[in-house]
Order: sequence, then C-alpha cells, then structure tokens
Amino acid sequence: MNSIDWIILFVTLALIVTYGTIKGRGSKNIDGYLLGNNSLPWWNVCLSIMATQASAITFLSTPGQAYEDGMRFLQFYFGLPLAMVILSVTAVPLYHRLKVYTAYEYLESRFDLKTRSLAAFLFLMLRGLSVGITIYAPSLILSTMLDWNINLTTIFIGSLVMIYTVSGGTKAVSMTQKYQLTIIMVGMIIAGLTAFYKLPKNISFTEAFQLAGVMGKLNLVDISFDLTERYNIWSGLIGGLFLFMSYFGADQSQVGRYLGGKSVGESRLGLLFNGLLKVPMQFIILYIGILVFVFYQFHQAPVFHNQSLKDKAMQTEYAGAITALESEYDKVFTKKRNEAESLVDAIRKDDPILIEQGRKSMEIIQGTEKEIRSKVKEQIAVAIPGSNTLDKDYVFITFVMAYLPHGLIGLLMAVVFMAAMSSTASELNALASTTTVDIYKRSIKKDGDDYHYVKSSKWFTAGWAIFGMMFASIANQAENLIQFVNIVGSIFYGTILGIFLSAFYLKYIKSNAIFIAAIIAEGVILYCYFFTKVAFLLYNIIGCLLVVLLGFIFQYIENQNTKKASR
Amino acid sequence: PSKWTSWYWFVMIVLAVQIVAYLLITNSFQ
Repeated sequence: MNSIDWIILFVTLALIVTYGTIKGRGSKNIDGYLLGNNSLPWWNVCLSIMATQASAITFLSTPGQAYEDGMRFLQFYFGLPLAMVILSVTAVPLYHRLKVYTAYEYLESRFDLKTRSLAAFLFLMLRGLSVGITIYAPSLILSTMLDWNINLTTIFIGSLVMIYTVSGGTKAVSMTQKYQLTIIMVGMIIAGLTAFYKLPKNISFTEAFQLAGVMGKLNLVDISFDLTERYNIWSGLIGGLFLFMSYFGADQSQVGRYLGGKSVGESRLGLLFNGLLKVPMQFIILYIGILVFVFYQFHQAPVFHNQSLKDKAMQTEYAGAITALESEYDKVFTKKRNEAESLVDAIRKDDPILIEQGRKSMEIIQGTEKEIRSKVKEQIAVAIPGSNTLDKDYVFITFVMAYLPHGLIGLLMAVVFMAAMSSTASELNALASTTTVDIYKRSIKKDGDDYHYVKSSKWFTAGWAIFGMMFASIANQAENLIQFVNIVGSIFYGTILGIFLSAFYLKYIKSNAIFIAAIIAEGVILYCYFFTKVAFLLYNIIGCLLVVLLGFIFQYIENQNTKKASR
Repeated sequence: PSKWTSWYWFVMIVLAVQIVAYLLITNSFQ
C-alpha cells in the first residue's frame, strides 16, 4: 500500500459513509426508519439483497476456495433460484398485504404472541452472535494485511457502519448498498482481468480455461448422491433450497430488504433477479480464483499465503527449516512452469495423449508442492503455537497486494471494507427492527409515539453494533467460538423455517401445537450438535421437518382432547 | 388468482440451462 492506495481507500470509505448519512436524513417516523417509506425500485431491492448476502469473507474466501478445491462450491447456490420463486409466490404478497415491519410480526396474526416472540428471540440469538463474526472475520485479514491492531480494525469497521445505520435506518442501508455492490464487482473483475493479463503473452483466455479444466479445477457439478457431502448437486438443490428459504423468508436481515420495495411486484422482481444473478455472480468470483491459480502456474506462488504469520515464524529458531523448504519449493516451481508450458502446447495441438501425459506430470508436481506446503505449515504451527495455519482466505488478497498496480490495491482494500460494511449494516438494521417491533414495542412499552420508537430503534442499532464489536474482540481469543458461530445459523434456522412453513401452508396447525413443536425441535437440534456427528447442513432439514411433524401430532392430540371435553 | 408465472418459469429455466452447461464443462474434462 502506498499513499495513492491509502487515499483511494479512505476517500471511498468517506464518500460511502457521507452518502449514506445524507440519504438517510428525513427518516423521522417509524415507517421511514424501518421500511424506508417503501420507496425502493426492484433493481435496488435486488442489489440490496445481494450486498447483504455477500459478506467480506465471500470475496476473500471464495477465490481461495476455488484456488485450492476447484469450482464445486458453486453447487451450494443451486437451490437459491428455486427458493426465490417459492418466496415470491408466498411470503412477499403476504408480508406486503399485512404491512408488517418484520417477518415475525406476521406470526402473531397467524399463531399468537408467544410463537412470534419465540421466533424473534431465536433470530436475535443467531444474528446477534453472527454480526460479531461478520465484522471480525474481515478485520482479522485486513489487520494482518495492513498491519493494524485487530481490535482497532474491528472498532473502525463497526463505527463506520454505525454512523450511517444509526442516523438513517433502512433507507441509508439500502441506498449505500447499491454503490457498495457496484464498487465490489468492479474491483473483483479488475483483479480477475489482472491475473489473466499477467499470464504469458501467448496464452489465450480459452487456453487458460482448458488448462484449469485439465488440472481438475472445473469440477462444477457432481451428480453422485450423498447428502452428507456438502458439495454435490443434490445437497445444493435440496439443502440449499431449505437454507435459502429460511435465510430469505425468515431472516429479518433479508426480509427487511424486500419489505422496503415499492410494491409486491417490485419486491418480487428484486428477489427473482437475485435468483437469476446469484449463481453467475458466484461463478465469476470462483473463476477469479481459477485465474489466480492459472497465473501461479507461470509465476512463483508464495509457499505460505499469510505472509505476516510466516514473517513472525521467521523470527524464531525454525527460520532455517522454513528457508530450506522454501528453496525446495522454488526448485519445484521451475519444473512446474516448464511442464505447464508444454501442457499448454499439447492443448494447442489438441493431442489427447500429450495432454494426458502433461496432466499426470502436473499432478505429481502438485503433490510435491502440497507436501512442501504442509511441512511449512507444520513448522509455522510449531514456531507460533496456537496460530491458524489455514491460509486459503489469504490467497486472493496476497495476490492483490503483490501483483495489482498501486491505486487498484487501494480499490481492492476498499472492496473488502465495502463488503464487510454492507452485510453488517443489514444485520444491525434487522436486529434493531426486530428488537423494537417484536420485543420492545409489543411487550415492554406499548404506548410510545412514533418519535419515541424511532429514537429507541437508533439506540438498539447502536447497542447491537457495540455488542457485535465486543463479541468480535472476544472471538479473537477463542477459535472454537468462531467455529460455533459459523454453524449457529444451522442450529436455529431449521426451527424458524418450520414455524414459517407451517404458517404459510399448514392451516391445520394452530398456535399451541406449533409452539411446543418448535421448542422440542430446537432441543433435538441442540442435542445433535452437542452429542452426535450429524452433518450441519442436515440440521436445517431435520429441524424444519420435526417442527412440521410434531406440529401435526400435537394439533391432532389437542383436537381429540377438545372433542372429548365437548362431549 | 397469471402474469408472474412466466417469470417463475424463466428463473427456473435459466437455472436448468446453467446446470446443464456446467455439467457439460465438468464432463468435458473427465
């Protein structure tokens, strides 16, 4: 980072925060503050939804995932368009017709207050915990790359978001997101093109694509049926459908985005365009990782991508061992580059025998590289006890810092900040809406005026932001806490989705039955988490089906008892 | 209870076309 980069980074951040603060002014009543006066056109709804879902880790981690594991992660999103269609048919018209502020408000008109409060409480639990990680995860990487203090980085991101979300509410969040997502996508595509243009001059785009394919990186679809395997077409379509139904239909961070649409049609179109664009967008981000992978077939890749951690290890007695491994890695690279060039030649000649030979020798070289890399990781783990030697999240950003021209480095740093801010803003806004509407206004202070609830929403937004920042600084001390939060969505989502699906489709089930069913289902999921090895992705399906099934059973028992009593 | 059905089909057809294209790419390198 040089002075041009710092200027670009800070000017971008200042512009976005100022724009959000100015645009959010005038949200004087609760409709304005929590729904943005229903003023969003469909394209802004769509951009808001996409900016909310794509956190900083999406843009840092996804290219790294493709670099190491190929593009099979894409299948995770196959269920999303189907979820968009189902929600457009059911949830959108229902929420609009009832003029709700939050998704949970609807549950009171369908069931009763205790079910609404339970769903709101489950949401506040899962989102309140994960907002800390939404801030923490990019802070960790940024603090490493920019050599900042981790806690100060967390406070910096949290405070930037707080400025415009507290003052401007939902409108400020949605208005800034359209620019944030634009900056993000422009920055990412520039980074991908840079990787391509820095390839040897004679390699075309098609040849780069074929080289990646021959080396097994274009493993886009796996049709084998295994629901416990996270990335195949079935767990993508079925598991993804359940996950995205809960995320977009019952998580206020997303529901709050499309409740701000001008009409049912605008909200619906926003969701449908998200369904059209999401898979291609993820394809592009994964493909950027593939371009970085191809780039590193012709340029020396770092033996360990988290440079700062490696530098620390080099200050210890293990420096000699790491240096020896590194020079071994350099030797392997020279061989690899020659092999990669002859493999491209074979692809050009379209000679299947030569291609197969080239692929095999590249496979052997990759195996050797992997071995050296894991030895380096072992050395670093011993040199710096307790350090995290998983460097996948650093692959992309290290490439950016090393190979992008100055100015663009600043832009890409701004991209990471934008992505962190846009997700955090939606989450804080949703936490504040739910706390105000479903808890405070409904059960604590029922007779306040509009001004009072706007003011309390602002305080709740600030309160959740401070909670998130504090949680992030605790997370810094506890690796297993981060693991827990990463799957906390799976723990609560299934139950919430079960409640909502019963509300939408199963008129037979009434309030008492659903409430008891939800409590028992949540207990079973927590049991699975603490005492079994059931795959996390299945929690959503188990929780959801349990709520529906138990709801039916309890309703049947209740009906029988009522019949007996009335005889 | 029309206008939107074509949108829903369009979203699902785009998904299906993408999956087929991705499957063809995957199989061409196996």
